[in-house]
Amino acid sequence: MTAEESDLVLVKRVQRGDKSAFDLLVRKYQHKVVKLVLRYVRNPAEAEDIAQEAFIKAYRALPQFRGDSAFYTWMYRIAINTAKNQLASRDRSPIAYDLDLTDPEESHSVQTKLQDPDTPEGMALTEEIRGIVNSAIEGLPEELKTAIVLRELDGLSYEEIAAAMECPVGTVRSRIFRAREAIDKRLREVFEGGLGRTEEMV
Amino acid sequence: MNEERPANDLGAQHGERDSQLSAMFDGELSAAECELLARRLTRDEALRAQWSRYSMIGAALRAERGVKLHDRVALRVQAQISQEASYGDSSAADAAIVARPAAATSASRGSLGDRWMRLARPVFGAGIAAGVAATSILWLRSQDNTELLAAAPVQETTVTVSPEPASTTTVALNQPAAEVRERVISNGEPERYTTPAPSSATNIAPPARLANYVVAHSEYSSPMTRRMALLGLVASDGTGAPELAEEAAPASQGTENRAQDHAQ
Repeated sequence: MTAEESDLVLVKRVQRGDKSAFDLLVRKYQHKVVKLVLRYVRNPAEAEDIAQEAFIKAYRALPQFRGDSAFYTWMYRIAINTAKNQLASRDRSPIAYDLDLTDPEESHSVQTKLQDPDTPEGMALTEEIRGIVNSAIEGLPEELKTAIVLRELDGLSYEEIAAAMECPVGTVRSRIFRAREAIDKRLREVFEGGLGRTEEMV
Repeated sequence: MNEERPANDLGAQHGERDSQLSAMFDGELSAAECELLARRLTRDEALRAQWSRYSMIGAALRAERGVKLHDRVALRVQAQISQEASYGDSSAADAAIVARPAAATSASRGSLGDRWMRLARPVFGAGIAAGVAATSILWLRSQDNTELLAAAPVQETTVTVSPEPASTTTVALNQPAAEVRERVISNGEPERYTTPAPSSATNIAPPARLANYVVAHSEYSSPMTRRMALLGLVASDGTGAPELAEEAAPASQGTENRAQDHAQ
C-alpha cells in the first residue's frame, strides 16, 4: 500500500460523511501546505490563512475527487491556485519562481531565500520543538536514526529503505515506529507540560 | 504476576496500535487495517494528537523554514468544517466520532441504514426512470396532436356571442385550431362557440356515395367505364368501411348534402 492509497481511505471516509477523517488529512499535510504557500507570500501568518482557505476549498470539492491523482498532488494544486488568486486579488506580484505544478515536492533552496517576520514567541516555540526533535534524534540508535531520516528527509518507501539498509520491510517498519515513539515521548512531555497550548489557543 | 499480565497485554496492544499508526502515516498499512484504524482515529482524540505529532516530527526534521509547528491551521479548518454539511450518509460516521458507550450501537444502526439505502436506491432509480419515460411519452403524444392540428388545413367556424342582448356575431374562417380557445365570461357561459371543421378527408366522396353516384348516372356512362368504377369500389370497400361509419355522423352535413344533390 502506498501513501496515496492510505490517504484515499481517509478521503473515502470523508466522502461518506466522516469529517474527522478530513481533519487527519489536514493535520498530516498542514505543514507541507503552509511551506508551499510560503513560496508566494512572505508572511507565515498569511500563509496559514491561505492554507486554511485551500483546505476548505478542498473539502468542498472533495465529492468530485475520484482518486485519479494522489490526494496531496490534488491538494498541492488547490493550494497554489488559492495563493495565486490571493495575490491577484491584492494585485501583488508573486515571488518570481517557476513552479512545476506536476511536482509536489518543494525545493528547499527557495525557502532559504525567505525572510520570516513572524512573532518571536511563535518562532521560539517552533525552534524549541525543533530542538527537542533534533536532540531526540541524536539520542537514537544509529539504525533507528537512519531509518527515520531516510523516511522523513529522503521520502523513501519502506521497501526502498529495506533495500538500502539490507533488512526486511517489517524491520524497517519497526525501526521507524520506535524512532517516532522515542521522539514523540519527548514531545508529549513538552506539550503536556503546557508548551504549545497557548499557541493552539490563538 | 497475574496483575502485571493485563497491563503488559494492554501495553502490547497500544504498541501494536501505535506501530500501525506510524505505518498508516507513511502509507505502508494495508487498506483493511487502515480502515479500522481510521475508524478508531475518528473517536480517539489522543490518537489524533499522536498523528499530529508524527506530522510535526517530519516537519521539524525537514527544518521547514517559516512553518510554525502547531496545529493552528488544522484547528481552524476543523472549526470551519464543523459548520459545513457532511457528505454522503454521515449518520454512521458522525455517530462513531462521539466517544460514548453507545457508539457501537449507533454505528450498527448506521450500517443497517446504509444497507437499506443500498437496497432502496435501485428501486427509487427505476421509479424515477419510469416517471420520466411516461412524461416523455405523454408530452410527445400531445406534441404530435398539436402538430397535426396545426398542420391540417383547417376551416373553422367561430361564432362569438356577446353577453349583451344585442349581440354581434362574427365568423372567423381559416384559423389554426390551436389558436382557438374558449373563453368563459363572468356568467359562466363561454364567450365563443367553436364548431369543429370537417377534416380534409371528408372532401373526398366515400365509396357508398360514389356507388350511388355511379348507379344514378349509369344510364349516361359506357358499360366499360361503369364496370371499372364498380371494380374500383369493390377493391376499396374494405378500407372505406370505417370512413363510412364516420360519415353517418351529422357533423359533415354540408359535404354530404352536396354529394347527395349531385347524385340526385
